[in-house]
Amino acid sequence: MKEKLNPFHVAILIYMIQTGVVIFSLPRMLAQYIGYNGWISVLLFYAFITLNIMLISLVYRLCDGKSIFQIIEQTLPKIIYYPLYMVLIVAWSLTGSLIAKEYIIIYQSFVFPTTHPMFIKIYVDILAYLLVIKGIYNITKAATMFFALVIWTIMLLLFFINNFQFLNFTSFYFREGTGEFSGFVDILSAFLGYELVLLLFPFAEKGKKLMKAVHYGNLLTTSTYLLVSFVCYGFYSFEQLKRMKYPVIELLAYIELPFVERIEQLIFSLYLFTALIGHVLYMWAATKTAKQALPNANMKWTTIIIFIIAYAISWIPDVLMKVEIWLTYLGQLDLTIALGLPLLLILLLLFRKRSA
Amino acid sequence: MNNSQHISESNQQQVDNELLHSDNNENSISAPSLQQILSSFEQCIDLVHQSFQNNHVDIVYLVHLTDKQELFREVINPLTLANEADIERLFSENLYQETTDSEFLINEVLDGSTAIFHRQRAYYIKNNKCETRSIDKSETETVITGPHESFVESASTNLSIIRRRVKSSKLKTIKLQVGEVTKTDVYILYIDGIANMDYLQEFIKRIELIEIDAVHDSNMLIQLIDDVPNSLFPLFLTTERTDTAVSKLVCGRIIGILDGSPSIFSAPSAFFEFFSSPDDYYQRWIIGTSTRLLRLVALCITLTFTALYVSTTTFHYEMIPEALLLTLTESRSKVPFPPLYEALLMEVTIELLREAGARLPTKIGQTIGIVGGIVIGQAAVQAGLTSNVLIIAVASSAIASFVIPSYVMSASIRLIRFGLIILAGTLGDLGIAIGITYLIIHLSGLTSLNTSYLTPVAPTNFKDWLDVLIRAPFWALKSRPSQVNTSNKIKSRQKK
Repeated sequence: MKEKLNPFHVAILIYMIQTGVVIFSLPRMLAQYIGYNGWISVLLFYAFITLNIMLISLVYRLCDGKSIFQIIEQTLPKIIYYPLYMVLIVAWSLTGSLIAKEYIIIYQSFVFPTTHPMFIKIYVDILAYLLVIKGIYNITKAATMFFALVIWTIMLLLFFINNFQFLNFTSFYFREGTGEFSGFVDILSAFLGYELVLLLFPFAEKGKKLMKAVHYGNLLTTSTYLLVSFVCYGFYSFEQLKRMKYPVIELLAYIELPFVERIEQLIFSLYLFTALIGHVLYMWAATKTAKQALPNANMKWTTIIIFIIAYAISWIPDVLMKVEIWLTYLGQLDLTIALGLPLLLILLLLFRKRSA
Repeated sequence: MNNSQHISESNQQQVDNELLHSDNNENSISAPSLQQILSSFEQCIDLVHQSFQNNHVDIVYLVHLTDKQELFREVINPLTLANEADIERLFSENLYQETTDSEFLINEVLDGSTAIFHRQRAYYIKNNKCETRSIDKSETETVITGPHESFVESASTNLSIIRRRVKSSKLKTIKLQVGEVTKTDVYILYIDGIANMDYLQEFIKRIELIEIDAVHDSNMLIQLIDDVPNSLFPLFLTTERTDTAVSKLVCGRIIGILDGSPSIFSAPSAFFEFFSSPDDYYQRWIIGTSTRLLRLVALCITLTFTALYVSTTTFHYEMIPEALLLTLTESRSKVPFPPLYEALLMEVTIELLREAGARLPTKIGQTIGIVGGIVIGQAAVQAGLTSNVLIIAVASSAIASFVIPSYVMSASIRLIRFGLIILAGTLGDLGIAIGITYLIIHLSGLTSLNTSYLTPVAPTNFKDWLDVLIRAPFWALKSRPSQVNTSNKIKSRQKK
């Protein structure tokens, strides 16, 4: 019998996909778009994401452990689902590739200002490829190990107890924010990744445990975001927070131990693990979709080709700002998929039920 | 035709006439079997063929493998004294076992039995005796408290040690052979009712599929049955310690004993299993837990300490506090090499010293240690080839690598360290992160007898953590490890 995904690992996997380098800029985004005490709005975003996950739960309940591709192919004609698959492949592979590129550009700008980021990206892409071809069970195992190496960094927030001031919170709520729609989407993008659970249906044990695990994973992500934002809001003044590109990195730079200080780059290096899992899972989703679209193709080569194309396209946005713009658009597309795909699947399942 | 050996004065005449006798007896005894044995052992100087003309009996044995006293007592003397009428009664005794399989008989002779031919029938009597090393302390897996005996090269001695420690009829043994030429015996041991039979079948299947001329040691055998043969890590645990072997058996693992090897191997194994030592159980649980955690810290130190030095001094000087920075820059001021070369130079020197120390006799080994200590500790710094701080880093990571109880695992970890140092020298902290990522990707794909190598961390089983990451008190260690997938899960009902 084939090994099934353990709910505990699914929760960790979801956390690892959702959390990425965005955690380093999230408090600034909250300050910029939401305003004073924006950290509280994390809960509102959490509520929205929870509703979206519940929508996916409904699909899971209706589909009875079938893969989403089976549902689509049994109901829709080829002419419709092939373009849909193409959209999914493009959206997911580019998101994966650009998540990695964003991480690399940030690191490169700190440490290797003269090195081309695409050179470093080759290393990261090779690692991602090695993990993608190992399959989802091994990806979850690796994600669990990476989680153990990353999660302790949250404890570093304890260093800021002394400099934490409730005065910085002020008595205003959600004022002075720009309130841009694209800003909200950017913040929501920080939670993205949970939608990939749609592809995990056939790999999980039947029952409610899978979706419960997704909720727990999302809860863990939200708690981390909430904690980090809370500390940043209490540590920096509102104006400071708004002006800092990566407030959490700056925060880590304050930590001083007798034998080491300025550990922000070391800690940022560890976030390669989370960026990589996000990258890997999106690439895995893209290759799974490609396999469905081209069932006779050699999987190893298909994966390599997807990686090469994604790598080549990710070369186009050459500076961090352009990467962020691309990621904003891709975030919008991914959000549409996260909301639209479950809705489409529910419609198809209900239609099938009725016609049966 | 075989050369005869001079065995004793009483048989001198028979031995001298061996050629004639064997020819004459071709028609009177089990000719095809005897012929086959003699032709199989052609030009084997150690094979003895004796004929007892008075009662038409021929015996064949390998002189260095048989117990001489037993041979005279049970075979030669009775056959010399017996007449034709007594012989049938003699062979009906349980001591003499009849066989019709020539191949089997050849194997028995190779095992030290004596083959006996009488009137178309073949018998054998087990009277083997080999000189073996006596049971001694383990040199590679020493403990401070607890039993000191270790396995030896003789499989039968090793089996007797285990039987003495596990007095249960549930301890089952299966005998297999490996090596197309050497036909080395492998004994598979498991406890019925605890071990998983699927794993046992898989284990046996893998050993049976081995096609190689010879297997000399357990550590060689496990590479032939590995799930991932190209992995850097040992996928089956080997040990020389008898208590460790028994503990593996009772927790549901399967163990293998290879004749000629002082190490036994157990399966399935997990990565974190290599970091526990029997010592942990013989001390108070808090001490055991601290030691186990210390080993995990040692793993981190040996993997990353030198790499972090290289990364910090190459790319991340800002990480060093001001007070320490002065010491470090002063120490590095005379060194003409970049930190990467400096670190590699020292690490390679340490490895050379270790390898030389391991190959040389103890007394010369000590000299090497002293010379190495002076070269590394003083001369290298004074000559301006390396910095003091690096020596501390290299020495710490070398010492930490020897904290890992398994030598095979320690060797793997030490080699990985070089990869991390090179990555640290080229990409700084990110390089270390990339190296660790690759390591974890590699580890996550490994399996031991089709079970996850990273268990109980991934897949996670918190109960198992009590006996892997820490050493919980015995009342808390209630169940067998999840990796062995046994139906008999409870191992202790000890109350607090």
